[in-house]
Amino acid sequence: MSQLQEQVQLFWKAVLKDPFPYWVGGILLGFLNVVHFVSTGGAWGITGHLAHWGSWTIEKFGAAPAAWVYYAENSKLLKQLQGGFLHDGGSLLDVGIVAGAFVAALLASQFRLKKIRSFKQAGFAAVGGLLMGYGARISFGCNIGAFFSGIASMSLHGWVYAVFIFVGAYIGSKILYRYLLD
Amino acid sequence: MAEYTLDAMGEACPVPLLRTEKKMKDLAVGDVLIVEVDHSCAMKNVPEWARKEGHIVDLEEIDEGHWEIIIEKAK
Repeated sequence: MSQLQEQVQLFWKAVLKDPFPYWVGGILLGFLNVVHFVSTGGAWGITGHLAHWGSWTIEKFGAAPAAWVYYAENSKLLKQLQGGFLHDGGSLLDVGIVAGAFVAALLASQFRLKKIRSFKQAGFAAVGGLLMGYGARISFGCNIGAFFSGIASMSLHGWVYAVFIFVGAYIGSKILYRYLLD
Repeated sequence: MAEYTLDAMGEACPVPLLRTEKKMKDLAVGDVLIVEVDHSCAMKNVPEWARKEGHIVDLEEIDEGHWEIIIEKAK
């Protein structure tokens, strides 16, 4: 194999297979965040749009979430709800995150279907996920909408969030040690 | 010099790292621990932690998305 071929192989391994160093990820996130803000005029968020998915689903079964305080008192959220899935850029971005992760795993040849290891861990994960989703909605933001976008826009709430990430991680690791590790 | 294995297949962060930390306490200097993971974030944070602790670390991808992290306790 020629030297050039070797260089090209090393390059693709670094780009597609090896995990990026944290600073590369940070620069990419910062750059894409600017692109997002310039092109949409708003900050990036995840869970607000996921909540719409739930609302659109129960609308099919006759519920009227548009009348709820959550939507009725927030014109931006109400507009997104009434616009529907295909007109909600954030919903499409959420799909893009999953699709992008899937493609990245395939390109790195690391895609793998995993077995559920323990139903105890899976149960805790499901309960934790529900609590995170519920918490993200009553506080109007997850670690992207509230933390990442908050700090990027120099808002105090992002920094308050950062402090409590450590509090939450501390309590979470105590629970893990106490109940989940054998 | 004993060799131990830790099966962390199917476990998500931070469980493989916490279990590795716990298991390393049982090893004597010179012993080797092989941690099996199939979670790409564990393939990064477990070797990172072990190197920071001063151990000798080797990482092998033995199948698509399936890694063995080989840690030799150095101190």
